[in-house]
Amino acid sequence: MPHDSLKMGPHDVGGESSQTIDTHDHGMTYWEKFSNGLRMAVSSTGIIKLDELRLVAEGFGEAYFEMEYFQRNGLALVALCKKKSLFSEKEFQLELDNQKKNFKIPIIDLPNPKELVHLHDGVAHTHKGADFQEDEFGEGPPDFYFDMLATAAILKNKKIISQSDIQSRIEKFDSVFPFRGISVVTKAWVDADFRERLLRDAKSAIKDMGIDLESFADIICFAQSEETHHIVVCTLCSCYPRTLLGMPPSWYKSRSYRSRVVHEPRAVLEEFGVIIPASREVKVHDSNADMRYLILPQRPEGTNGWSEEALSKLISRDHLVGVGVPDNVI
Amino acid sequence: MSYSGLANPKPKFGLDEEIIISKRGSRGHCRTPAYIRGKAGRIERYCGNFRNPEQLAENIKDADIIPLYRCIFNQHDIWDNYKGPKTDTLEIEIYEHWIERS
Repeated sequence: MPHDSLKMGPHDVGGESSQTIDTHDHGMTYWEKFSNGLRMAVSSTGIIKLDELRLVAEGFGEAYFEMEYFQRNGLALVALCKKKSLFSEKEFQLELDNQKKNFKIPIIDLPNPKELVHLHDGVAHTHKGADFQEDEFGEGPPDFYFDMLATAAILKNKKIISQSDIQSRIEKFDSVFPFRGISVVTKAWVDADFRERLLRDAKSAIKDMGIDLESFADIICFAQSEETHHIVVCTLCSCYPRTLLGMPPSWYKSRSYRSRVVHEPRAVLEEFGVIIPASREVKVHDSNADMRYLILPQRPEGTNGWSEEALSKLISRDHLVGVGVPDNVI
Repeated sequence: MSYSGLANPKPKFGLDEEIIISKRGSRGHCRTPAYIRGKAGRIERYCGNFRNPEQLAENIKDADIIPLYRCIFNQHDIWDNYKGPKTDTLEIEIYEHWIERS
């Protein structure tokens, strides 16, 4: 266990003992997607820096882990907007009342998912019914969503952000970003030159594929091998290559994953169903600063001659973080 | 690899150099987790120069530009009771002002 006196706060969890990890990804509700889109839209203006948002969230103290991830980050955004005088408390309360008064749960006329084919990074993509199971049908939004709506309304009114800034991010997180990492991996599996460039300089190699990561961070790619198994975590928050892999799954942001991977990676991997032989090194990457990581799984056996499209069906997001490995094809 | 970081200053530590992460406290926002402070490892690579996140968090104008490294540690050197082979490792990014010569 780390020395308690050095702990920076409740967010600094690396090395703590914690419970079994819920390895199921719970996905995101519409309200969470909106909060995330708003936060990204505001951050991209440069008015608010990521480290400033982190500092505010860390300052929530004991409440840090009592709040859900998106609530915590959303309320940090509101607090920082007020601190930076982007709007006053009075302005905010007025707009908050207004939003609550006028809020109606949206009724969405859903398209027939089978008929909806569009392009993801230039590749035709068909939606399945499950993609559209939003919770517009179920519960109303959590309380903090009104804070998000009020913040968005004020900032739009002040021309700091636009509705399309938020909307385009929600759409890209749904239908563009999650497919990018998979396309990078299949290309590396079929193209040895590309694989070599990816491992040497991932950011340039990915850019050459025509993918704009829209991110300040560098990407480092590590290949799984018979000698080494790589696994990625961010113990301090939830650093993740979002424009390459989409939003991090719920377990990646959980206290249990963040606490445990650094000091008992093999036990954590077992909970995800991955057993690494003692002869193979397990290498944990704590993604805590300005680099982001992509893990290149080994190409499954029995896939000689397969197309990239066929290979892509064998890959899940978990493989690209290192908590899972694709099955061999028998 | 190509670095998107800023040009100067030049990195003080070299590849494979043995180092210790500073065992001091911090105030405000910081990207050096408690568990790695005071631990001995090596420089895995230099990652380019970046603005000091501790100053960025406070919205300090012209925050310092600092070399960032990836440091590698044997897991048994971090945790007293690590359960796993001696070959298991951990790598983490550390800004130069948190790194000391061993």
